[in-house]
Amino acid sequence: MGLVDRGRLPAPLTKLFNIGRSYSMWVYQWGLACCAIEMGAAFGSPRYDVMRLGVIPLPASPRQADLVVVSGTVTDKMAPAVKRLYEQMPEPKYVISMGSCANCGGPYWDSYSVTKGVDQIIPVDVYVPGCPPRPEALLEGVVLLQQRIKHEDMGARWRGEGFKPIKRDSEPIVVGGGPIE
Amino acid sequence: MTMLSERQQLSYIAAQAADARLNVELETEGMTLNIGPQHPATHGTLRIIARLDGEQVIWAEPSAGYMHRGYEKLTEVRTFPQVTALINRIDWLGSFANEVPFILAAEQLMEIEAPPRAQHIRTILFELSRIANVSLFLGDLGVQMGAVTPVFMAFRDREYVLNLIEGATGGRFHPNFDRIGGLKDDLPKGWLDETRQVMKKLRNFCDEIEDLLFGNEIFQSRTRGIGVIPADVARQYGLSGANLRASGVDWDLRRDQKLPLAYDKVDFRVWTHPDGDSWARCWIRLQEVREATKIVDQLIETLPPGPVMTKVPRIIKVPEGEAWVSTENPLGEMGYYVVSKGGLGPFRVKIRSASFNNISITPWVLKGVYVPDIITILASLYFILGDIDR
Amino acid sequence: MAQLSDTGTSEETPVIDELRDEIVAKLRSDIGDAVIDVHQIPGVDLWVRVSADAWRAAGEALRAQGFDYFCFLSAMDWMPSPFGTGENDPTDEVEDDPSAAEVRQGYAGGETRFQMLARVTDLRRHVSITLKADVPESPDGSMSIASWISVYAGANWHERETHEMFGINFDGHPDLRNMYLPGDFEGYPLRKDFPLLARLVKPWPGIVDVEPMPASDDDEGDDS
Ligand code: SF4
Repeated sequence: MGLVDRGRLPAPLTKLFNIGRSYSMWVYQWGLACCAIEMGAAFGSPRYDVMRLGVIPLPASPRQADLVVVSGTVTDKMAPAVKRLYEQMPEPKYVISMGSCANCGGPYWDSYSVTKGVDQIIPVDVYVPGCPPRPEALLEGVVLLQQRIKHEDMGARWRGEGFKPIKRDSEPIVVGGGPIE
Repeated sequence: MTMLSERQQLSYIAAQAADARLNVELETEGMTLNIGPQHPATHGTLRIIARLDGEQVIWAEPSAGYMHRGYEKLTEVRTFPQVTALINRIDWLGSFANEVPFILAAEQLMEIEAPPRAQHIRTILFELSRIANVSLFLGDLGVQMGAVTPVFMAFRDREYVLNLIEGATGGRFHPNFDRIGGLKDDLPKGWLDETRQVMKKLRNFCDEIEDLLFGNEIFQSRTRGIGVIPADVARQYGLSGANLRASGVDWDLRRDQKLPLAYDKVDFRVWTHPDGDSWARCWIRLQEVREATKIVDQLIETLPPGPVMTKVPRIIKVPEGEAWVSTENPLGEMGYYVVSKGGLGPFRVKIRSASFNNISITPWVLKGVYVPDIITILASLYFILGDIDR
Repeated sequence: MAQLSDTGTSEETPVIDELRDEIVAKLRSDIGDAVIDVHQIPGVDLWVRVSADAWRAAGEALRAQGFDYFCFLSAMDWMPSPFGTGENDPTDEVEDDPSAAEVRQGYAGGETRFQMLARVTDLRRHVSITLKADVPESPDGSMSIASWISVYAGANWHERETHEMFGINFDGHPDLRNMYLPGDFEGYPLRKDFPLLARLVKPWPGIVDVEPMPASDDDEGDDS
């Protein structure tokens, strides 16, 4: 993929690649606290069945994952491990932060041992609010992330510039209450 | 049996001697195995550091604290009604059961008591959270030993229970439904009928798990006789719940203590097992789910009419004093030592959580076991990270 | 175990609790004057304060009496928090009540700011006891008391936790490493003078319950 590496990819081809990428996401479940059980319910239970969205919740290690769902309370003691996990993942990588704790500290906003939000350590693409969010909410988060990936300039991601929409003036996806096509 | 030639015997002895030399060498160096903090087999973020001699553990210790959220400090800066929203999340699988002892302690200090209907509904929800909690344990048990099917079954049937809890309280997970002096609301219409059906389903689930897992040879050979905890050691470490009863100690706070809950109105059996091994612990939990479904069934039939809330002041101030209340939670004895100085919030709450004591025995019980048994022993002790670290 | 006196049968509740009286008498005969104070709610619970020197002896005596189930061990800081409870109405006048800042111990009394707290249970007689002991601070601010590991093996982790949270040392404990917090953490979180920084920076904005309510809401409490 020389074109991709050099960050020059024709837009139609990008779109095609993006569709492929967004429907074959391997997600690593980084379950830390109560939210992990709801994540388990979303990913592992027959009632919610995440595989129909093209998300595969099975990799055994972060090295095979495209997406990590950080669900639960990140403590100051855990934070280095979270960062190391993120660094192990191959590019392009995405992060969903699930639950108030991972978003901002949640009920432990004044605690002495809790990191107030995982976004202090790693960049987050989608925040799923709730304490705990219902499994449906996590699934919506996954769908929103797929929308985001579909509008992503793949070359920019490869150049390490983070998220950039394909078209400069295209509407950004508003996460949480934003429109789903 | 074939006769060994002399040469064979000699080479055998030489090999043994070489092994022994190697072992001696290994012992001086040792090998430290680090499981976790995030490892698929430790459900949660418990890190275990084990020093091995060959395949045998000579020293192991869990390293907790990856989920320490500082509950005891945070309760000091919350009001009494706010504390329940916090302590819900200690044992996150049986949330409602966490609220009850704290509320009871506060009620004891205020010298009020919830009306009988509220006590009844509390007990029903308490047992439902036990079912939700332990059914996931039963499913998870398979995963720890390489069987993936039971966990899907557990998630499937647990959803029915969560639906019930959600129907009654509005929250699948963290209901925050218990109030000082009663409950937030009465049960919704049609809830009792649904509960009856779900309890039937849950009994089926227990039968399925019993056939599938407990009848399985591999499961038996991996749990029977492994991780034996004698009764006096169990008592010294303060093990509680199924872990204690699996060591043959007949102690159940539901039966042995008089609290304003409806346990004295139902007929249930406290199971014990003399063996004290992993198998016994798992088996007792299975029986407990069964008993819980029966308790719920009986309570539904005898639900008294009346209000679900006594008269309490709008701003709750708890009089000065100290109270200790503990209940038999899904994981074991969960208690709160509440100290009030007459303010809006507690002065200090000491949280005695079951998993903390249950897991503190691991350095003792893991000594001398083989590496694969670490996982089964830990799984059978059954801990929840939030309950260890608080 | 804690038995709540049922309001309906309160007349029958024995005012004299023979079982608990007997426990205290036995403990007195075992460790003598080390039993400083006893508080009893008949039929409900029992608190005994022993002297710090007799902390381990008290544990051994209780264990010999049949209290072989170890429930928990922790400590108490009786100093009122200098930062308030965090839930007071910020618009309220701060009353300068000198008694609010004074160290006032709970049941079974006490003299020091820090107290040990432990609870053990007799599974046969179905009774528990809460044991307390004053922990005097030495001039350099350190505190120590005998470890209970030799009495109840399960006290190990509880003492580590207490050490980490209160800074109390346990003589005879093999390994008082930090259990919860990262190694470079400073301070003892459960001491009352440990500030919650997030709260100091930005007080909790959600105090709604203490706002004056409309008069008609007075009887809100009895809705069912
Ligand atoms: S957001 Fe709520 S449910 Fe999720 S981990 Fe935090 S406390 Fe638990």
